[in-house]
Amino acid sequence: MHLLPRFDYYEPRDVAEACKLLSQFKASAKVIAGGTDILVNMKKGLIAPEYLVGIGKIPGISEIEPVDGGVSIGSNLIIEKLVEFDLIKKKFAMLSKAASVLGSPLVRNRATIGGNIVNARPAADLPPALIAMGARVKLKSRRQEREISLDRFFKGPGVTVIRPGEVLTQIVIDGPPPFTGGDYIKLMHRRSLEIAIVAVASRITLDGPDGIVTDAKIILSSVAPRAVHAVRAEKALIGEKPTEKLFEHAAKIASNECRPIDDIRGSARYRCDMVEVLAKRTLRGAFVEAREQ
Amino acid sequence: MNKYSIINTRLPRVDARAKATGAARYTDDLSMTGMLYGALLQSPVAHARIKNIDTSRAKKLPGVKDVATAQEAGAVRFGVSPARYDETIFCIDKVRYIGDEIAAVAAESLESALEAASMIDVEYEELPAVLDPFEAIREGAQVIHSDYPNNIGAEVHQEFGNVEEAFKTCDYIRTDKFVNKKQDGAFLEPQACLAVYDPDEGLTLHSSTQAPHYVQRTLAMVLGLPIGKVRVVKPYVGGGFGPKASASTLELTACLMAMRTGRPVKMTFTREQVFWHSRARHQFFHELTTGVKKDGTLVALKNTCYLDGGAYSSFGIATVYYAGSLLGAPYKLPNMKYDGYRVYTNKPANGAQRGHGGVAARAAWEQQLDVIAQELGMDPIEFRLRNIMQRGDVTCNDFNMSSLGMKECLEAVRDGSQWEKKKGKLPRGKGIGVACGFFVSGAGFPIYRSETFHSTAMVKLSEDGGTVNLYTPAAEIGQGSDTILTQIAAEALGVRYGDVKIASGDTDFGVDLGAYSSRQTLMSGHAVKQAAEEAKRQVLEVLSEQLGIQADEMDIRDGLVLFKGDGVDFSALRSNYIKEHRGWTDPPTGDRLTFVEAARMAYLARGTIVGRGAYKPGELGGKYKGAAVGTSPAYGCSAQVVEVTVDMETGQVTVDRMTDAHDCGFAINRTNVEGQMQGSLSMGLGEALFEEIKFDGKGRVANPTLGEYRIPTCLDMPNVETIIIESDEPNGPFGAKEVGEGAIMPTIPAILNAVYDATGVRISELPVTSERVFNALKAKKQQ
Repeated sequence: MHLLPRFDYYEPRDVAEACKLLSQFKASAKVIAGGTDILVNMKKGLIAPEYLVGIGKIPGISEIEPVDGGVSIGSNLIIEKLVEFDLIKKKFAMLSKAASVLGSPLVRNRATIGGNIVNARPAADLPPALIAMGARVKLKSRRQEREISLDRFFKGPGVTVIRPGEVLTQIVIDGPPPFTGGDYIKLMHRRSLEIAIVAVASRITLDGPDGIVTDAKIILSSVAPRAVHAVRAEKALIGEKPTEKLFEHAAKIASNECRPIDDIRGSARYRCDMVEVLAKRTLRGAFVEAREQ
Repeated sequence: MNKYSIINTRLPRVDARAKATGAARYTDDLSMTGMLYGALLQSPVAHARIKNIDTSRAKKLPGVKDVATAQEAGAVRFGVSPARYDETIFCIDKVRYIGDEIAAVAAESLESALEAASMIDVEYEELPAVLDPFEAIREGAQVIHSDYPNNIGAEVHQEFGNVEEAFKTCDYIRTDKFVNKKQDGAFLEPQACLAVYDPDEGLTLHSSTQAPHYVQRTLAMVLGLPIGKVRVVKPYVGGGFGPKASASTLELTACLMAMRTGRPVKMTFTREQVFWHSRARHQFFHELTTGVKKDGTLVALKNTCYLDGGAYSSFGIATVYYAGSLLGAPYKLPNMKYDGYRVYTNKPANGAQRGHGGVAARAAWEQQLDVIAQELGMDPIEFRLRNIMQRGDVTCNDFNMSSLGMKECLEAVRDGSQWEKKKGKLPRGKGIGVACGFFVSGAGFPIYRSETFHSTAMVKLSEDGGTVNLYTPAAEIGQGSDTILTQIAAEALGVRYGDVKIASGDTDFGVDLGAYSSRQTLMSGHAVKQAAEEAKRQVLEVLSEQLGIQADEMDIRDGLVLFKGDGVDFSALRSNYIKEHRGWTDPPTGDRLTFVEAARMAYLARGTIVGRGAYKPGELGGKYKGAAVGTSPAYGCSAQVVEVTVDMETGQVTVDRMTDAHDCGFAINRTNVEGQMQGSLSMGLGEALFEEIKFDGKGRVANPTLGEYRIPTCLDMPNVETIIIESDEPNGPFGAKEVGEGAIMPTIPAILNAVYDATGVRISELPVTSERVFNALKAKKQQ
C-alpha cells in the first residue's frame, strides 16, 4: 500500500486567507483542489509538501458566470460541469468537448479546471482548447490581482508564471466573434482514462458564412513541453478562402512545425503524422461550426 | 417437465448480495488484534551479487518487531513444478530482477514497516542485466541461474507424424512469425495475505489465492511444518487469471514473520508490486510453418517458439509445453512438430494467464490459416469447416475430443454475424474476421507428481433436515464456482437452491487443486455431485427402511420426495416428524413428503448424514514426454466473429461487434457461462489492442499502473452476442466442461483477421496500436 507523506492541512475560508497562507509557507505549501494529481504524486513520493491548502470551501470560485458575452469560470469548478453546462456546450463547444475526454467520470467529478491548468502537464486536455479560445486567467495574491493570457501562462512541464502566494481564481473567455468555430480532437489508445498521444485544438473566424479566414488558431498538445501554436500554419490560413485544400496545406505545415519526442505513448514520427491528421480534422470541424453561426 | 430444476438456469450468484452491498470481505479487509504489518525490500537493480545486507538500522526503528533476510528464512527452494524449484523466500547470493525480494520487516504500523524496509542497507555488485531472450541464449551471455548455463530453463521437442515428409506432399506451404507482449493479469485485487501462528493449532494463512492447496503444500515444505499444521483459507478474491495460482514470497514471508513474532502479520501488494511479481502471460516468439493441399486439407505444422521467461520458472515449464500442444486441434492435423525454449531473463517472472501458453500460438496460427485460405481462394469459414474435428476425434498428440461442438460453434457465429452478407462486401476501413480455438477442461495431472484426488467434497445435512452444508476446498475467485457448485449440489441432492449453504476455499475441507486450467466446474463439480448423491442415497435408504419401499422407487427433487408408485402412505413418518418438532412453527403440510422430513428421519436413524465425493481423471491419452501438459478429461471450444472499423488515417482500431459461440458441454448457469465468455473477450481485446508491459533499458517496468497498462474500459468493449453450444460432455458432471479460458482463444486472431479485412495489412506483432497499423499502412503504400 502507498501511504501519503505527513503534511499539515489548511482550509481557508476565502481567497485572502488562502493567499496569506501560501505567502507564509512559500515553496513548502501546495494548493489542493480535486487532488487527482497532487495526491497521486505525493503517494508516489514525487513531491512532499509540508502544507496543503485546500481551496474547496472558498466561496465564489466554483461558478460559471456569463460576462459581457463571454464567460468567467471559477478555478475550483469540477471538469464534469464543463461537459454539462449549456452555456459552455453552446458557446464554447470545444471546451466542453475537451472536458468530456479528460480522464474518466470519476476523475471528471473530482478534478477541477484550475488544477488541469496549474499542473501544466504537456498533454493536459483543457489548455489547448482554452488557448485556442484566447482564455485569460486571474491570479490573486495578498496585494494584487493580475490577469494574464493563457498563452503566456505556461513555461514548461509543471512550470507556470504563477508566483508563491498567488491563487488562480477565475478563467475568463471572451465571447467568440461572429462566424467563429472550433474543435478539439484527442488521439487516444483507448476510449477513456487516457493521456493524449497527440491532441489538436483549432479555432477559425470567418468574415461571413462564405467569407475568408480572418483569425486562426491551431494549438498542438502533447508534442512539446507545453501546448504550442502552429504559428506558420495559423498564418497560412489567414486571409484565405477556407477550402479542403487549404486545410490540408495548413495541416501539413503544422506537422512540419512540431518537434515531439519518442515516449511510452508514441513515437515522434507518428505524432508528427497525427498532428497533420488531427489539424485537418479540427479545421474541418471548426469550419462547419463557424458557418453555422 | 424439464429434466433439471436448478442447473441450466439463470439463478443469481450465491454471493450477489454480499458483493453488491459491500459486505463481502476480501483479504485486505481482515484485521486481528495484535496484528503486525509487513513490508518487503525489493531489488532496485535487475542483476547483481549481494555483497552484504545490514539490517541494524532497520532493527532499531521503534515499532519494528522482525526483520528477516535469507539468513532467517533459510535456503529451501520452491517454485511451481518440483522439476524447476528455483526460488527461495529471499535472495541468497544474487538478485535477478527489479523487484526480487531481499528482506522483509514486520512492524506495529505500516509506516514503520515501510520505513524500516528502506533502512536495510544492501551492498550490490552489479552484473550485466540480460533483458532480451535472444541475447540471453547467445554464447557467452551472462548466466542468470548457474544450473542453466545457457539460460534455457526448459525446452521441449515433440513430433507427431512426420512433418518433413508431410511437407513434401503439400501444394502450399508458408511460414510466418508472430510475437505478443508480456501481459499483466490486471485483477482488481492486488495479492494480500494475513498469517496467524499458534504453537498448538499451527499456521493459518488467509490469502488472496487461486490455489489454497498448492499454497498449503509449499508453506509446509518451505517452513518445515507438517501439512496438517498448515491451513490456508481463501476469503473472497477479486480475480486471479493465473498469477495467483501458486505460492508467493509474499505469503511465505508473512507466515515466516508470524511464526517468528507469534503475532498475526498482514501483507498487501501495491499495484506496482503486482507488476513486479507478475507471473502473468509470457512473451512468445513463434515461427509457424503450415502446409496444406490445394483442396484446403491441412497436412502439417511446424512450430518453433522462444518464450521470454523472466527471472524464475514459475509455471513456465507447463507454459512452454502448452505453447506447442494447444495447436493442431480443433482441426484434423496428422503431422505436428514443436520446438520450444523457455529462456531466463532479468525481468519479472512470467507464468500462467487465462488460456495458458496457447493464446499467442493460437493468434499466430489462426491468422496464418486466414492467409492460407485466401491463397487457396477459399472462404475462411469454409476452409476451417473443411478441417474441423468432431466428437470422438483424437488429435495427433493424443487429445481425445470426447465431445466437441466446434462445427456448431463455427456455424453459429457465421449465421449470428451474418457473415455471408458481410465478408468481402464491406467498404475499406470496415472488416470482419473469424477464428476458432479450444482449451483443456482441467489439467489431467496435478502440478506435483501424485495419485492424489484432484477434488474432494463433503455434503452434510443439518439435523433438522432443512439445510445442506456443502464443504468444498475449491476456490471461488470471482469466476462463480461457489454458485456452480451450489447449483450442482442442489440438483444432485434434489433440494432447492437456497437450501444449500456453501463453504469453500479452505484446506481444512479437504483437497482441491484450485482455480486454474479451467478445472473446477468439471472436477470439483464431479466431487460435489458425488457427495450430494451419496447424501441423497443415505436419505433414501432410511426412507426405504421406514416405508418399506425400494430406494430406486423413490427420488428427491425440488425439496420433495417423489414416489414412482401411487398411494404411498407416509403419515406415520410425518407424525413422527411433527412430534419431533413440537413447538416449531413450520409443520409440514400438503400431500407430498418433504426432503426436510426425510432428512430428519435419516438423522434420527443414522446420526449426521455426510456424503463424500472425490474425483480424479481416469486414464488419459498420451505416453510421450510432456503428455501430462494438455491431456484433459474434456476440451471446450469456441468460435468468434469480430467486426472492426479502422481509421485509415490514424490507424486506430475500433471493435464494433463480436459474435461468440462457446461449447461448454452443458451450461450449469447460463448467465455465468456468458459472463465468462464476455470476460474472456474483454481480456483478449485488451491483449490484442492495448496491453503491453514495457521496460526501460535497465529492466524496470515502465508502466506499472493501470493508467499506463491499458485494460479495456467499458467504452472499448462492444456489445457481444453470446451463443452457448452444449455438446454434452460424457466426462463432465451433467455433461459440463470449461468456459473460463477457452473463450479467449479466438479473440485476438479474429480481431487480427478483421483488421486485415478492413485494411489489407497483416499485423504480426501485438498490441495492434494505432501507430502499428498506421506504420503498416504507410509501408504498404510505399511498396
